Amino acid sequence: MLNLPRWQTIVIIAITVLSGVFALPNLLPSAVLDHLPGWYQQSRINLGLDLRGGAHFLLEADLRSVLSERLTNLSDSVRGELRKQQVAYKDIMVDQGRAVTVVLRDEAQRAKAIEAIRNVDPSLAVSGQGDTIHLAYSDQDLFRRKREVIDQSIEILRRRVDETGTIEPTIVRQGDERILLQVPGIKDTTDLKNKINQTAKLTFHLVNEDVAAAGPSATVPPTTAMVPTREGMQELRRSNPKAWEEIQAANPRMSPDQICRRYQPQCLPVFKRVIVGGEDLDDARSTFEQQQGGRPIISFTFNAPGGRAFCAATRANVGKRLAIQLDNEIISAPVVQSAICGGSGIITGTFTTQQTQEQALLLRSGALPATLTIIEERTVGADLGADAIRDGTVATIVGTILVALFMFAAYGPVFGGFANLAMLVNLLMVFAGMSILGASLTLPGMAGLVLTVGMAVDSNVLIYERVREEKALGRSAFSSLATGYERAMSAIIDANLTTLIAGVLLFGFGSGPIRGFATTLSLGLVTSMFSSTIFTRMLLSVWVRWRRPTELVI
Amino acid sequence: MLWKPVHLFTFKKKFDFLGQRKAALILSTLINVVALLGVAFVGLNFGIDFRGGIAIQARAKQGVAQLDELRSTVGGLGVGEVALQEFGDPSTALIRVQRQDGGPQCVAGAQKVMLTRAGPGWQVKPGPPGTGDVEFTSPAALDAIAWRDAVSRAGLTVQERQLPRGTVNTAKIDMTPEQQAEWCQQVAIKLVEDAIGARYEIRGTEAVGPKIGGELMESGILAVIATMAAIAIYVWFRFEWQFAVGALIAMLHDVISTVGIFVLFQLDFSLTALAAVLTVAGYSINDTVVIFDRVRENMRRYKKLGLVDLLNLSVNETLARTLMTSATVFVAVLALVLFGGPVLYSFSVAMLWGVIVGAYSSIWIACAGLVYLNLRPEQLRPDDDKAEKAKA
Repeated sequence: MLNLPRWQTIVIIAITVLSGVFALPNLLPSAVLDHLPGWYQQSRINLGLDLRGGAHFLLEADLRSVLSERLTNLSDSVRGELRKQQVAYKDIMVDQGRAVTVVLRDEAQRAKAIEAIRNVDPSLAVSGQGDTIHLAYSDQDLFRRKREVIDQSIEILRRRVDETGTIEPTIVRQGDERILLQVPGIKDTTDLKNKINQTAKLTFHLVNEDVAAAGPSATVPPTTAMVPTREGMQELRRSNPKAWEEIQAANPRMSPDQICRRYQPQCLPVFKRVIVGGEDLDDARSTFEQQQGGRPIISFTFNAPGGRAFCAATRANVGKRLAIQLDNEIISAPVVQSAICGGSGIITGTFTTQQTQEQALLLRSGALPATLTIIEERTVGADLGADAIRDGTVATIVGTILVALFMFAAYGPVFGGFANLAMLVNLLMVFAGMSILGASLTLPGMAGLVLTVGMAVDSNVLIYERVREEKALGRSAFSSLATGYERAMSAIIDANLTTLIAGVLLFGFGSGPIRGFATTLSLGLVTSMFSSTIFTRMLLSVWVRWRRPTELVI
Repeated sequence: MLWKPVHLFTFKKKFDFLGQRKAALILSTLINVVALLGVAFVGLNFGIDFRGGIAIQARAKQGVAQLDELRSTVGGLGVGEVALQEFGDPSTALIRVQRQDGGPQCVAGAQKVMLTRAGPGWQVKPGPPGTGDVEFTSPAALDAIAWRDAVSRAGLTVQERQLPRGTVNTAKIDMTPEQQAEWCQQVAIKLVEDAIGARYEIRGTEAVGPKIGGELMESGILAVIATMAAIAIYVWFRFEWQFAVGALIAMLHDVISTVGIFVLFQLDFSLTALAAVLTVAGYSINDTVVIFDRVRENMRRYKKLGLVDLLNLSVNETLARTLMTSATVFVAVLALVLFGGPVLYSFSVAMLWGVIVGAYSSIWIACAGLVYLNLRPEQLRPDDDKAEKAKA
């Protein structure tokens, strides 16, 4: 039982050494770490926001008003279609919640009315009887729409938060209608919160070609404003970062005119009059041209009033440029090739797919598809995080030393030493495991670590107490060790698994820092099954062969 | 040999643990009833995780934090109930503000924030009753982008369609009362920041809106129930149903009395505290299972022995281990209490209690439960791999 085959010993040692290798980057001082290869430096445990400092926001999208807005649009379209098909109706109303109700003047026209409605949207669920028709979106459709809204919000948030120059924000969907946003290492959240709150303003303007043709020296009439292009601003950011920072920090915000005059990035003269606003833009997507080799293009769709305004403006201005302005930058200024009527159009050019995707995203980011409300906010200053790291580290070290002293006192230098060695190996394995899993270490996680230290030696206590009992029964040294290990196993497994159940459920129900606690606790329990039993058994088997004890001092 | 091991917890005398089961039962019932009454009549000191609200950690830029002064400053902001405590060291204060539910007071607060952050001349007025609408009036006419920037100074999220068209002086932002309540958390944070920002450095801010608080509470209770059920099912699976019931009662006992500790010391009952309660449930079962394991083994070995004697024997045999393990976990948790810092304090204290009560309940509740449930040796499942191997 105690004598392990050589290959098992090798495997156990290999696992231990590997754990050490994976855990090491977390323990080395950065001065040493700098001389090691990059991939090795990378394999460090992520610190949670509570240790690293940063901001955590839980945002909720207001999907209800998205739906009611959509129903209002639907009722408008249905009204138009019924008129076109000459179906008389008494009333069309949007019900509270999730349906549009149409009341017809004449029941006999029901079939015709339903046909007209199918023209508007064939996927609608139609119900009701007599002169009343209820229209609702199918559950599938609503579900898909919800997902779209959240995905789109995430894209927009990512763009906005990244623009602040902060590092690696985590933006993920949480549940059906929520988004978790975590930004590590941020000092002032006011700016970040404003970024979340801000709705980018998208507008379409005609370019004043006369001023543009006259060059930079031209006088700008009052109807026209100079607006920097997006590329121009990005170029400015690269070439003159100080100017960029000044623009960002300015309070009140600088107008585009001011920016153009003061910093002279690439600017375009545009008429101030808004042809159509972002609120009228229904959608924008990156697609491919049907003919001519399938070049990447951007297609967009307006709602009815937007489409009309766009049609009129493009008809009158073929050959001129149309500037698409997002906030205070022009993201694109395509030339109007022909009148764009019917509500949808395309932007062509020598784009790459990546560019069209970005442009489409920019167009869509005109408005967040749903209002995002901050329903939970946790901000930790960096020095508060540093305090937490210090407290957690001190507690872990003191806890480890106290437990080690206890084990030494109770089981002597040999057995106590083996158990303590196992405890250290366990700590290394938890660190290694977290590095490999890419899990975050939080302050409660450190508490879990301390708890694991106390609990990990439990398996050794179980074994050693059993060995004492077997020894008291008059067994030989070797036999007491062997039976001690064997008979303690069932209790060890039960004891660890029950605690593990609590750990796993805690992981499932908990969030943020609590998950960190559940992670270290569960990981520690699992690895302690290796370190406290398999690893110490190997140590003992080597020791027994070496010392050949006739009597156990335990 | 450098030194001899000390047999810390090995006793020659055999205790009649189960003989005390009546006294223990009365004591435990008393503790649990008192704990439950405490929860009902004194109440838990719920942190913002469950109740919603705002917690701000502020450190004095110079000297110590003046709690009384802070209390009157923040209390005078019209943000409702305010609680203050020293946090970690004398220079740091934890300011807790009750959950904001919106309403005219919050709108008045928003006006104050606008005056401080956006300049003089701003007015903020509530919309018609029954809605959460808010009307902003600016000193100068603003266009949509300027409006958006302006209202964001008061922490307000707006959508493009909510913004006024054209360049105007007044903007009516339509909101539901629920949306207004969530926004009001932001208003309150800004109010507090503005009021104390000159002399205090804000080290950390937490805000939990009305909606999420209720949900966290719900999922927390669910987690405790699910954990206990899962562990009981595991024990049932590994042992007999009597063991599972005994373990479940012991867990309930530990969970209730740990909650009682939170009431007694009015410790902050937060998500971390809930983690402590769950860990106590998981840890307390640890000792219980080890004893049960021995009970089962002994039942197979000593078929003639009466149940009480058998339980006494098993408890005594495993006593050294129970005490030793409890001691190691105890000192580890003690290190957390002493050095783990203010954030983990409630958690650590609860765990410290959990270690003690876990050892107690595994003997006097779980084992005594087996007596009352009338466990008999012949009820044991005949087969168990370990028992077979032990004979070999």
